[in-house]
Amino acid sequence: MSLDIDRKEMNMKRLGMIAFWGVVAVATLIGLAAVGLRIYKGLGITNLNYIVPWGLWVAFYIYFIGLSAGSFLLSTMIFVFGIKRFEPIGRIALFSALIALNAGLMFVLLDLGHMERFWTVFINRNLFSVLSIEIHFYLLYIVIICSELWLLMRRDLVRLGQGEGWQARLYRLLSFGSKDTSPESAARDMRLVKILGLIGLPTAIGVHGGTGALFAVVKARPMWYGPLFPIIFIVSALASGAALLTFIVAFFGRMPKEERTELTLALGKLTAGILTFDLLLIWSEFSIGFYGAIPEDLDALRLIVFGPFWWVFWLQQLLFGAIIPIILILWPKTGRNPYWVGLAGLMVVIGIFGVRLNIVIPALSMPVLEGLAEAYSVVPAPSKAAFTVPAEVVLWLQRGAILLALATIVAFSLIGWHATRQKTKTSQSGASHWVAQVAAGVGIVAIALLALSWFGSNSTLLSTASANYLADNFSGLSGIFRFSPVKALYFPSPNEWLTSIGVIGFTLILFAIGWQLLPLDIDPHAVEAH
Amino acid sequence: MGRVQPITGEMGVIDRMEADLERALEKRAEGKKVRFGMVVDLRKCTGCRACTLACKAENMTPPEVSYNVVLEEEVGEYPNVRRIFMYKPCFHCENPPCVPVCPVQATWKREEDGIVIIDYDRCIGCRYCMTACPYGSRFIDLGMSYTDPMQPYEQAASPEYAEYRVRADGNSPVGNARKCHFCLHRLYQGMLPACLETCIGRAIHFGDLDDPDSVVGQLLATRNHLRLKEELGTEPNVYYLT
Repeated sequence: MSLDIDRKEMNMKRLGMIAFWGVVAVATLIGLAAVGLRIYKGLGITNLNYIVPWGLWVAFYIYFIGLSAGSFLLSTMIFVFGIKRFEPIGRIALFSALIALNAGLMFVLLDLGHMERFWTVFINRNLFSVLSIEIHFYLLYIVIICSELWLLMRRDLVRLGQGEGWQARLYRLLSFGSKDTSPESAARDMRLVKILGLIGLPTAIGVHGGTGALFAVVKARPMWYGPLFPIIFIVSALASGAALLTFIVAFFGRMPKEERTELTLALGKLTAGILTFDLLLIWSEFSIGFYGAIPEDLDALRLIVFGPFWWVFWLQQLLFGAIIPIILILWPKTGRNPYWVGLAGLMVVIGIFGVRLNIVIPALSMPVLEGLAEAYSVVPAPSKAAFTVPAEVVLWLQRGAILLALATIVAFSLIGWHATRQKTKTSQSGASHWVAQVAAGVGIVAIALLALSWFGSNSTLLSTASANYLADNFSGLSGIFRFSPVKALYFPSPNEWLTSIGVIGFTLILFAIGWQLLPLDIDPHAVEAH
Repeated sequence: MGRVQPITGEMGVIDRMEADLERALEKRAEGKKVRFGMVVDLRKCTGCRACTLACKAENMTPPEVSYNVVLEEEVGEYPNVRRIFMYKPCFHCENPPCVPVCPVQATWKREEDGIVIIDYDRCIGCRYCMTACPYGSRFIDLGMSYTDPMQPYEQAASPEYAEYRVRADGNSPVGNARKCHFCLHRLYQGMLPACLETCIGRAIHFGDLDDPDSVVGQLLATRNHLRLKEELGTEPNVYYLT
């Protein structure tokens, strides 16, 4: 009887996985075709213009660099400061840092007007350019991550490479001829990892603090220009990194159940703590910006809070990406269940992307001189670089891509939900996690709202109404809190979305392959020997 | 000495500026530095945008790229209403914020005449300079064209930097940042920038700002003037007369 249920459960799980990876594979293929089109046609297929020269791709670039730096900083914490509690996730943290960095660099490559010249940054280097310094940081960072990861996996690779078959051959190749599996060699490896971690700590801070500095040094954009910016970048990177690991460990961790639960909850607490600090920094940025009310700064902030894309700030970034996850983690009823905490991690990972969008696009959407956007047309002229397919096809393609992306998110959530329900029935008392369910309900409503706004409904109504309410009832503030009249000068083109989905799908697949093949868990025998 | 020459004397102002340019080029031939700049008389600007068009025709810029624009602002309320027009090229700042940010040193301020230029073969098209310019003077060539399929006049070589490049698929300057260079290719042939020559109100003046006898030098000495966003310390080389 019970065996039957187990088999059913297994089948369900397998079906879910097949459905999920099917969706990912299709989305990735479509996306990679769009990447091909991007390479062939050039930047003309984007909606970038002379007012907003950076868009979705740059937002994704700083997002993935942040995920990478956050995961890496966590791993340094483990190996340098010797926090034993988190040791089982050390390799996973490093591996996700590597994969996320790869995605970030793919996005920045995609964004170059001359992709074929990317390598010249190492010949024509300019040490006064933050971007140039950053690229060198990335290089050093890749070397550190790869060598740390290799040192940590070395003994397992040697052990796995002893058999026959293609997998063993692959492991032998990856072990680079190393054969030593003695405990002394392990101790030496750990020492090297510690040293690399020590070098890696400032490097990772440089990698993401520097990415923040990339924006912070631009005095032409008052919203970016300021010393707080690199700090915000590092803190939000840590939050997204911790959240990513919470999610991965909760749903895919291969360690024993009790250990996994304990780890997830600890990581969740860490995420909530960093996220709260991040909220404090956001409050500082916005409250001081609004109080000071310097026109250029105020206009950009107002565009974020009351502009046409208000929901990115209020729903994705704050409600869905910070408040609900913090409740899920800290509320005792949900906070003890690793799946709810893992789901909170996923929500933060998605929510931080809203932070990145709001860093890049609104600051650029305010023309540096009054009337600059009207002085010259930003409406694309007929162009040989544009899509030659009919506009309706493009529209449906876009809708399909968004549906696929949403389906991916929903599939993930459903898997999580399913797992949660299974666990609540067996492990804990039948206490209905009503708070969590309400929270998840709100989350789904948020997704639906997102979907609605993408399908062209007028999402600005709510922000107009609330801004008008504030203006009518708090007359002293009406000068500050009013609906941003700025029309969106940029929204991502279908190709920008499709290429992004392609790169993200590719990243997911890369991660899954590594997850299946590489010895990313700590070998229990090695722990005993240690 | 010390006496201010009238701006228009026996020679027309264009003739005088051409003579100024000739003097500047002689100075350059002697190995001395010059500082090219502009003085724009806003009261003479009629907002006809002939400068924008002349620049497009001269440098053969595609859609989304326009080295100079005319900003427009309405002041006052009916019936006391007035329109202000402001011609805006690249300001060729003394401390250009767009230059240090370039990761590949593809853009720089020329030592000899202060003109900020771009090396199209070096530029990787990252557009960092576009975000860094406080005056919106940099543009990205997205590879677009006005006609589809491209008509012969759009396929002609542009005389920019005397390099005569053709905008074919993917080749520079497509995918590069582009900007005003005071018509560098014309200057060293002894010709004034295209926008200036076409200006019907004679609102634009060009010359060596270090030369006190030039039209621009005299205008700055005799008239009140301002520069945009002085607080950023960029020290633009384009002045507006008030």
